[in-house]
Amino acid sequence: MPAKKDDSTELIDLLRRMWLIRAFEEKVSALYAAREIQGLVHLGIGQEATAVGTCSQLKPDDYVFGGHRSHGHAIAKGADINRLMAEIAGRATGYCAGKGGSMHIAAKECGFITATGVVGGTIPLALGAAFAAKERKKGQLAMVFFGDGAGQAGPFHESLNIASLWKLPVIFVCENNGYAEFTPLSAHTKIERLAQHAKTYGIPNSTVDGNDLFAVRQAARKAVEQARAGKGPIFIECLTHRMRGHYEGDPAKYRELSQLAEWKKKDPLARVAKVLKARKWIADKEIESIGGEARALVEKAAAFALASPWPAPAEVDSHVTA
Amino acid sequence: MREIAYYEAKFEALDEIMAADQRVHLINGTFLSLSPHRHVFQNLAKKYGDRMMMPPISELGFCGLATGAAMAGLRPIVDLSTGSFIYEAWPQVANEAANAYSMSGGQTRVPVVFHLFHGLRGGGAAQHSGSPQAMLWNCPGLEIAIPSSPRDVKGLLKTAVASDNPTIFVDHTKLLDLRGEVPENDKPIPFGVADIKRAGSDVTLIATSYTVQVCLRAAEKLAKEKINVEVVDPRTLVPFDLAAILSSIEKTRRVVIADETHQSCGVAAEIAARIAETGFDKLKTRIRRVSTLDVPVSYSPPLEDYIGPSESRIIDAVRASVA
Amino acid sequence: MLPKLPRDGLLELCRRMFLIRHFEESLVPLHDKGVFGGHYHLYIGQEATGVPAISCLRSDDYLFTTHRNHGHLLARGAEPKRLLAEILGRVDGLNKGKGGSFHSVAPSLGFLHSSGVVAGIIPLSTGTAYAAKALKNGRITVCLFGDGSLEEGAAPEAFNLASLNKLPVLFLCENNGKYGAGRAVAAGQSSSMAAYPLTDLPKAYKIPAQQIDGIDAGLVHATVSEAVEKIRGGEGPQFIEAQTVRWPGSETNWPSVPHPTDSSLAWDVSAVAEKAREWYHSCDPLLVFVRELVEAQQATKDDIAAIERQVKTEIAAAVEFAVASPYPKPEEAERNFFA
Repeated sequence: MPAKKDDSTELIDLLRRMWLIRAFEEKVSALYAAREIQGLVHLGIGQEATAVGTCSQLKPDDYVFGGHRSHGHAIAKGADINRLMAEIAGRATGYCAGKGGSMHIAAKECGFITATGVVGGTIPLALGAAFAAKERKKGQLAMVFFGDGAGQAGPFHESLNIASLWKLPVIFVCENNGYAEFTPLSAHTKIERLAQHAKTYGIPNSTVDGNDLFAVRQAARKAVEQARAGKGPIFIECLTHRMRGHYEGDPAKYRELSQLAEWKKKDPLARVAKVLKARKWIADKEIESIGGEARALVEKAAAFALASPWPAPAEVDSHVTA
Repeated sequence: MREIAYYEAKFEALDEIMAADQRVHLINGTFLSLSPHRHVFQNLAKKYGDRMMMPPISELGFCGLATGAAMAGLRPIVDLSTGSFIYEAWPQVANEAANAYSMSGGQTRVPVVFHLFHGLRGGGAAQHSGSPQAMLWNCPGLEIAIPSSPRDVKGLLKTAVASDNPTIFVDHTKLLDLRGEVPENDKPIPFGVADIKRAGSDVTLIATSYTVQVCLRAAEKLAKEKINVEVVDPRTLVPFDLAAILSSIEKTRRVVIADETHQSCGVAAEIAARIAETGFDKLKTRIRRVSTLDVPVSYSPPLEDYIGPSESRIIDAVRASVA
Repeated sequence: MLPKLPRDGLLELCRRMFLIRHFEESLVPLHDKGVFGGHYHLYIGQEATGVPAISCLRSDDYLFTTHRNHGHLLARGAEPKRLLAEILGRVDGLNKGKGGSFHSVAPSLGFLHSSGVVAGIIPLSTGTAYAAKALKNGRITVCLFGDGSLEEGAAPEAFNLASLNKLPVLFLCENNGKYGAGRAVAAGQSSSMAAYPLTDLPKAYKIPAQQIDGIDAGLVHATVSEAVEKIRGGEGPQFIEAQTVRWPGSETNWPSVPHPTDSSLAWDVSAVAEKAREWYHSCDPLLVFVRELVEAQQATKDDIAAIERQVKTEIAAAVEFAVASPYPKPEEAERNFFA
């Protein structure tokens, strides 16, 4: 539950951001189905609270690293959805001039350094950014998002070890949605909570309801305070669920329909709206218009993206080396 | 002769291999990729489930496991899925599996097969479009098989599993739907024997994997210009059938090499060097290569199309060699 | 304490420990004289872990070891002269000169492969365990590695795989950390591993794990025997961390011998240089074992001295054999890298 001091304006703004992510991802899904977008696309519908709850506590010059399911993280960090949509659509006006695509987003101006298509691939990178931040002594920090699948990858462990030893200002955010690609976590490891690994390396950790914006926000707030104070890394495990398949096109037959139904009840957007309504900070009409505005912005982004030119073939030679 | 799809031939190979030898285990399981056909692979699980292990996302760990199991009497086929993921397992492949037999003075055999899908797949971007076979060719101790047709995938996979050496099996998702002739009860294909995929007289066009199919289409177009191209498919990089290539060049006097590995130190580079060293005097014109450009693979479709060994680039190179 | 073995069993352990000690010491002058080159790593100070542990295994079990492998091979019964020839790169070596110190193997003794890459063998050990389980041949695998290996991502990946698949593997971690001259290694021990105790790492995967004093031959023997039995009973992987105190001869860039070993040191270390004296007095597992044998009246000082003399003769002969063995022909480099 939100503390009494909470600013209703701030919370409504967070709901707006979550809605923007939701609308964006749903539009990407539609464009993919219409074959306007191709390649590998992984959507974070259902995981909006973890993105917004964490990134909202960061400053523009804090570093964020993501994984293959990072559209939401980039948007939460302040990325321009027009350039983001254009990138996913492979256009020259995209953040990476069409070179990266969905899994390799970079939005440097807002601190979203890079995503990756390699599970756990950015975890060591976040260490490096945190290391540089520590040297700079300006209180900057790094945050890295990854899923429960990354917990079984060697570099994850190496990174926890180093972050702990060197007291690096890095916040590890594990979005445990119970599935690594197409199999449940239990097929990958006997560990149920990845925060256990953080404990092994002496890193303060917590496991929260990843679909509860307030819980995520509170954990992130505390983590950010600690990291900026030089107390070393923190690990936040967010229990959540992805409402779509692993990638667009995955029928997700491995998942029980009842499980999906259960998680629908815990929809993060609905929960925030419910709380705000209960406090009389917002009414149904406004919630509707927030949703409507988000969709309108996303429609504009999609139009912008699809109207944008493809990159010229000669562009392959640009940005190979600096 | 019956005609079946590549993915069917591959499935048949796995089924027959598993039935014939109890020592064969499958570690990880995207042998039919994430294609619509992957459900066919589930049929294997029904028959051989106790010899199929689905590991976590731990390429280093499970490639090491496969290598160790091979040292101890099994004959595992371990699947890396996207070829670029072999970089996660590199120490186990290049430093352990490749070296064990030699380092032990011939005592420890490592009959493991590392299976992967390489190359430009359509929107894979830089981290899902790798073709690691050139780097692996530079790592002595590894055999490398690289099929381009339904008959080849079945025949080469059988030889790969039967080999006592660690073998990299380099496949391509764009081949999975290709149809081709595969005789019943076909014999395994020995390593080190190239295949003339299309007989010709004017230019020797060497290619591997999916690029062979691109070359065959290019050859059809070039035939209309009265340029008669001979398409030679090495089928294995290690061991390599240089003799077949030299014999083709003896006839045509011209050679173009097309390949999806990047240009620098790529597969085409090595083949070109071997031809230059041993067949220089047979050539009427310089060797031409059509490789993936030396740039990280971009995501956007027109960029991806531009950098690969496309049909048009191949046609241009062949025309230039007869000009 | 002493292992629960009959007298001749104890004396055989004693002999093997001396064999390792004198073998390792013999390498130092050979290296310094330029008879062989490259890095080499000595097992001195860890004999009471390797020898009793390996004695618990069956003849067809698998063993994996690292760059610090001489002690393990000798504990298992490899011929000193052939191991020495391998270290010298000669054709009569275990690997015909192709492997050298780091990669010495003896497949007939269960050593299929040694790796010079830290943690390189840990995933491999899950493989032989997987194969043994699949082939139902009852063999278990012992993976011998140092504390440094736990820093590599390969280690947790392997632990996870072993735990998930209930693989018959014993992970035996020899922690020869540097701290103090006392038996126990200090808490907060490492500048390179945040987890402490190290047993927390395998425990995270629900692998039973224990930390023991690696200088206590009897404790090692009892702990490993029990673990091996559990693994053979199908209980899945086990982890043992055996702690020793690093030998002062490893402190230098290249190994050096602070004082040549002699069984009399078990009772009088006054001849040892001050810097190393405390280690030989309290931390040398071989001397501890010798003292215990005598105290328990399983052997006299003379018995021990006789064993040592015989060992020294064997090592001297091994050196002669190895030095006399020819180098392989250069063309051999191009042969035998494919089966």
